[in-house]
Amino acid sequence: MKNARVLGFALALALLVTPAFLFAGGQGEKAAGPVTLKVLWGQSTTDAGSEKLIDAALAAKYPNIKVDWDIGDWGKTFQPKMQQYMQSGLPDVMIGKGQDVPTWGSQSVLADLTGKPYLSNMLPAAVQAGSMKGKVYGVVFNALYQGVYYNRKLFKDNGISIPTTQAQLAQVIAKFKSLGITPFASHYVDTWSIGNQTMQFAINGVFNTTPDWGDQFRANKVNFADSPAWKAVFGYDKLIYDNTWTQETFSLEMTQCDARVVQGKAAMDVSGSWSIQNFLAVDPNADFGIFPFPNETGNSKLIFEPNITIMVSAKTQNMDAVDKLISVITGDKDLALKIYNQTKTASMLKGVTPTFTNPSQSDIDVYASKGMIVDAGTGNNQLVWGGFQDENAKDIAAWLQGQETLGQALAAADSRRAASRP
Amino acid sequence: MRKPSVGRKIRIQYVTLVAPGMLVFTVGLIVPMLLGLRYSLTSWNGFTRDLPWVGFGNYVKILHDPYALDAWWFTIKFTFWNTVVQNLFALAFAVVLDSELKARKVYRTIVFVPCLVSPVIVGFVWLRMFSDVLPAINSALGTNINFLLFGSARTVLSGLLVANNWQWIGYWMIIYLAALQSIPRELYEAAHVDGASWLRRFFGITIPMLAPAFTICVVGITIGSLKVYELIVSSTGGGPGRASTSIVYQIYNTAISGRQYGYGSALSMTLVVVLLIVAVVQASMLRRREVQL
Amino acid sequence: MPGDRVLGRPGRIIGQGVSQLAVLIVAAVFVLPLLIVVGYSFKTTRELYLGSPLSIPQSLNWSNYANALYRLNIGTSFLNTLFYTAVSVLVLAVFAGAASWAIARNRGKFFKFSYIYFIIGILIPYQALFLPIYIVGYSLRLTNTAYGVILMYVATGMSFGVFLMTSFMSTVPVELEEAARVDGCSLYRIFFSIVIPLLRPAMATLIIMESFLIWNDYLMASLYVSTGRLRTLTVAIQSLFSQQTNDYTSATAAIVISVLPIATLFVALQRYFIKGMTVGALKG
Repeated sequence: MKNARVLGFALALALLVTPAFLFAGGQGEKAAGPVTLKVLWGQSTTDAGSEKLIDAALAAKYPNIKVDWDIGDWGKTFQPKMQQYMQSGLPDVMIGKGQDVPTWGSQSVLADLTGKPYLSNMLPAAVQAGSMKGKVYGVVFNALYQGVYYNRKLFKDNGISIPTTQAQLAQVIAKFKSLGITPFASHYVDTWSIGNQTMQFAINGVFNTTPDWGDQFRANKVNFADSPAWKAVFGYDKLIYDNTWTQETFSLEMTQCDARVVQGKAAMDVSGSWSIQNFLAVDPNADFGIFPFPNETGNSKLIFEPNITIMVSAKTQNMDAVDKLISVITGDKDLALKIYNQTKTASMLKGVTPTFTNPSQSDIDVYASKGMIVDAGTGNNQLVWGGFQDENAKDIAAWLQGQETLGQALAAADSRRAASRP
Repeated sequence: MRKPSVGRKIRIQYVTLVAPGMLVFTVGLIVPMLLGLRYSLTSWNGFTRDLPWVGFGNYVKILHDPYALDAWWFTIKFTFWNTVVQNLFALAFAVVLDSELKARKVYRTIVFVPCLVSPVIVGFVWLRMFSDVLPAINSALGTNINFLLFGSARTVLSGLLVANNWQWIGYWMIIYLAALQSIPRELYEAAHVDGASWLRRFFGITIPMLAPAFTICVVGITIGSLKVYELIVSSTGGGPGRASTSIVYQIYNTAISGRQYGYGSALSMTLVVVLLIVAVVQASMLRRREVQL
Repeated sequence: MPGDRVLGRPGRIIGQGVSQLAVLIVAAVFVLPLLIVVGYSFKTTRELYLGSPLSIPQSLNWSNYANALYRLNIGTSFLNTLFYTAVSVLVLAVFAGAASWAIARNRGKFFKFSYIYFIIGILIPYQALFLPIYIVGYSLRLTNTAYGVILMYVATGMSFGVFLMTSFMSTVPVELEEAARVDGCSLYRIFFSIVIPLLRPAMATLIIMESFLIWNDYLMASLYVSTGRLRTLTVAIQSLFSQQTNDYTSATAAIVISVLPIATLFVALQRYFIKGMTVGALKG
């Protein structure tokens, strides 16, 4: 009797554990037929769900290629996952942002994609953005625009024109204040937004005149503490802080912030294409535009940031399948269109134009025609985001809250010199 | 008395009962910790292959690192207030629920349910609460209370205390409740007959009988608070600025974004040491009081 | 008399009127955040942006739930989480129970050392050790496997398991074991057929508490089983919470979906849970 019970218990345990062995395995099966590619994707929310579209398109064209997705938020999980995989072996494909190309390319872990047939699907600007030292390490799929989004109705109804200099901006701010409208929307609770703004200002205030400022910084030739250009850049953060809902900005998060712009409670919002989804969700007929934040010399350019960037591991065993996957992503125009329309971003493929209503497109076209567009890489590839820009943003936040002086914030940036290397 | 040979055979069998658990535990937790210790003696960046040796250099660096020291200070403040507040409220709630209140079980469940949810979700919920929901009460009631606790370095600690307590009071309350309900009624009746006031009964009977539960709760809350991380990630992100960066948050920050895994490991070792000291000191202090009482 | 166990006359007043109200308010404060989450999960994004957070949703917008289920790959992730949790807690219960019993019944140095060895584990902040944990797992080919993550859950649960079980051992009468040994039963049979049944309340408590932890675990799951087929619910939910999240409606629906199972488990097993916690509190 007792024996039977013990036996029964052991049998039950075995039955329960057996499925584990069915789930197990899957590490590097290289069967001749079906191939499973491992893909790591650091997504922004705008991209979320795109993997299912890709699965569908891939299944239609190459049914024997499957993808095992490892997806997480770019900001929070891409770097730790890459660190993790560096220990064991990188996945076949890694999808990050444009700024990941110099970071990981310099580690010599990415495959050189120069000469691949699918590159001819891309716009030249995209190939350029994914290159480093003449080799193509990343396939840039889409791009974001960054600048000052503004409520066109508020500007039009009040006869206010787009400012191109700081002096004009001051007048615009004063005008809106007198009308009881908050000049700038902001959500400083997200430290990354402070960092993003600061870099937008720096691209048009530091890197436009000194493209290798980052390299000089690391060579000890220049400092934050005695740089009038950087002081001005930090000063713009304060300008926004003083002209926004100051009491609330460190509590208000992005969706509420963007909603208020559309509702006419705020006139301007230093942001990027990721806000478009929010604007249109609040009011599908929202009328908004974009202009570059004015710099000291009045020649600011609109910022364009290479976003979804596909990189391949130098050690992948499945290059053939990887090529097929990328050719689907870049060659299937329906798929691309769906993704662009969902993410509300700009296309980097030849002959594919997103069809979602983008009220800011007219502004973008104007700046593009005048050649007033600059690549965010000019800044991001000089001073790395993780460990440097995001840490500086924390010091700026502390300064704005009155816990540090401007001098201390600048000195803190200087103390991180070594960490600024992309 | 058993014959020695039989005794040894049985002893070996007992050891085999301990073995599987010990093996898994060692491989899963102890070995990684030893590896972490090894990394703490290097300046490894967390992804390349080389492990440059720095000996105790990392530990010296900690003493000069204002960010690490600030993170520790914040963690200590958080732990201290958390221990005091959570214990008090858990005990108070347990006392209240020990009475013949109507719908006791419902209240018990309501207060307990928050601890079933992941701290990540708790952080997310309270971020919304402080920025959207509670200010809406101001508009509804016409009041002007400052609910934006996460918005300023001065109040962010209070905000996190509220969120953390909301999650965990129920858990410790259950322990106190169980302890309260196990106190024999005769003790109270005897004291009542002897003419003791309720105050004397409370301090003379209840508190001493709660001593073991008190030990468990204090040690548990302290250790849990020292490790606070996920709550902060999903609510304040360590901010505004660095105002709410706990030591574990700083460890992650340094090891990952900062690409200094070796230094981050040294920070984690300091955490292990502090946890050890705290646990040993608290446990022995409280045990002594238990025995006295 | 009712209400006066601890506090006497004030205790009786607590059971009535004024304090009933106070308790009601406190309970309302506690339940408000949960209600808000449920409310958000039924709103449309427009209601979320434009309406007051305190407002009741205009209709039961089940599309958020449908969207969440789709985005979470609910079939796979739910089954995975359930599987990992169930197997982990069972294995843990057996391993911890066995180790604790052996420790409780022996005076030798090895067993005393084992006890302390296991308890020290409570102090190890395994969150900070994520890279070494991954490296160890990878070297032993445990990553990307179900049994790998299960082993890790057992490893991290041993400390608390041993702590809990050893304090329960006083409820298992040695006489029964002695009698069985005289009858000629082997040690293992004694453990499985006598001790385990008597340890049921302790096992129940351990199982319940570890289930909560494992269900909600993010770190181990993301390190060991983050890819599609093996993904857990918690890891899948994280993907809905990016830095630039704008769709809180589906995200909150996902939260509700993931909390319901464990909340139900708790409500169903309240009694065992509380009985289990009782013994721990009575060590003195």
